[in-house]
Amino acid sequence: MLRRVDFLILLLSIISTVGISFIVLPIIALFLLVDPDILVRSFLKEPSLFMEARHAFITTIEASLLSTILLLFLGIPLAYILARMDFPFKSLIEGIIDIPLMIPHTIAGIMILCAYGRRGLLKGLMNTLNISIEDAFLGIVLVMMFVSFPLIVDTIKVGIMAVDPMLEMVARGLGATRFRAFITITLPLSYRSILAGAILAWARALSEVGAILVVAYFPKTANILTLEWLNVYGLKYAVAISIPLVLLALSLFIALRLLVRAK
Amino acid sequence: MILIKDLLVKIKDFTLNISHLEIRNGEYFVILGPSGVGKTVLLHTLMGFIKPVNGTIIVNGVDVSNLPPERRNFALIPQDFALFPHMNVFDNIAYGLRVRKVPEDEIRRRVLRIMSILEIDHLSDRRPDQLSGGEKQRVALARALVINPHVLLLDEPLANLDPRLRIKARSFIKRLHKELCFTAIHVTHNIVEALDLGERIGYMMNGKLIFVASPEEFLRTKHARYYINELKPLLKFIVD
Repeated sequence: MLRRVDFLILLLSIISTVGISFIVLPIIALFLLVDPDILVRSFLKEPSLFMEARHAFITTIEASLLSTILLLFLGIPLAYILARMDFPFKSLIEGIIDIPLMIPHTIAGIMILCAYGRRGLLKGLMNTLNISIEDAFLGIVLVMMFVSFPLIVDTIKVGIMAVDPMLEMVARGLGATRFRAFITITLPLSYRSILAGAILAWARALSEVGAILVVAYFPKTANILTLEWLNVYGLKYAVAISIPLVLLALSLFIALRLLVRAK
Repeated sequence: MILIKDLLVKIKDFTLNISHLEIRNGEYFVILGPSGVGKTVLLHTLMGFIKPVNGTIIVNGVDVSNLPPERRNFALIPQDFALFPHMNVFDNIAYGLRVRKVPEDEIRRRVLRIMSILEIDHLSDRRPDQLSGGEKQRVALARALVINPHVLLLDEPLANLDPRLRIKARSFIKRLHKELCFTAIHVTHNIVEALDLGERIGYMMNGKLIFVASPEEFLRTKHARYYINELKPLLKFIVD
């Protein structure tokens, strides 16, 4: 019996190692393939390449941060309503929120164009406000918000659901309005989930490329530039520009793990 | 005085119907009944968390039926006490006063006074997870009483305590009530608790208030006999 269990554990361990290696290998390979000469040439010796890369990184970080902040404003109230209230068609709304998770990224971009683009559903309003999303910073922000929306709402919703509603009820009995009870009780008790939701949304926004390619090729984000350098200069240049992005993504991942462990 | 008139609450298949109930100021009123008869629904309706289909709740001549929970001045003590886990004992007790924008020096004075009455002065800096069941109960009582509520609503507040602590907590609540004379509505399914604490007992069955009686009168009803019959085999076992 013991030997059979040992064999089972051994088999499971081998399969698990293959699975983990499948993920880890490309990360290691990326760092092993870095050509220091190209890294120096692209970032230090050729000012035009450096400026292009720098601009792409700034655009990416600015757009992803702005989209995360806007999502917090939209996501926290929505997550609270979904966590605390029952109403008709609630399951339908929860399903709609998760749609961006299932849709292929290029189609997500096309959907955003259809809604907010120059020839989209809201063209009248967008033209009146003189706002254009095609090849614009705003387009990148909208795309990032669209793809990250379910991650932030679902994570915060789970966090709020974990806060005992009785705490809010007691607070209201003590004289707090619903809003004050939310600010003083629910929000501090669910801040880790809010932070985790924001990190996930930010990481998702950083990694988006397909939908951005459709909506706003310019101003170039780091992902678009990586794709472009891969096509124009080859793999070694693409690797060089990938390194900072991977380091940023890994640091977000570590922050998230620390946050979860702190829970 | 708290007057409840023609109260009708419907939640799916359940109906709560209280045609008339008066509770005097300073009275300790116990609502007794088996689980699932609507005792907690009644408390939540009084608090304003459940909107009744019909009926009025009048407190000292003022109709509070349409007021939101925060404007009724009813304090709730739930079964698990629901202390705010991210605040220490002092901040838990001060919460209701801070919400009311009471000056900080007065908050300090009132919180320290109620802590001294409830003999929890030494717990000021502790977090709820560092308190025993009995200490939690005292902090919850202090937090509710410090705002001078019209009525204290206690939802099975002794159910989570072990039997030895429950006896101690009962005598403590009795002494506290004698000292502070607050109005209380205490719901329980425990007859000993009801007889020991209640100045009057309201008996509930199937969402209805069947009768209101003094503990002595209640003991003579068939409903009390039901509880006593249930206890009899246990008493015999103890005597043996």
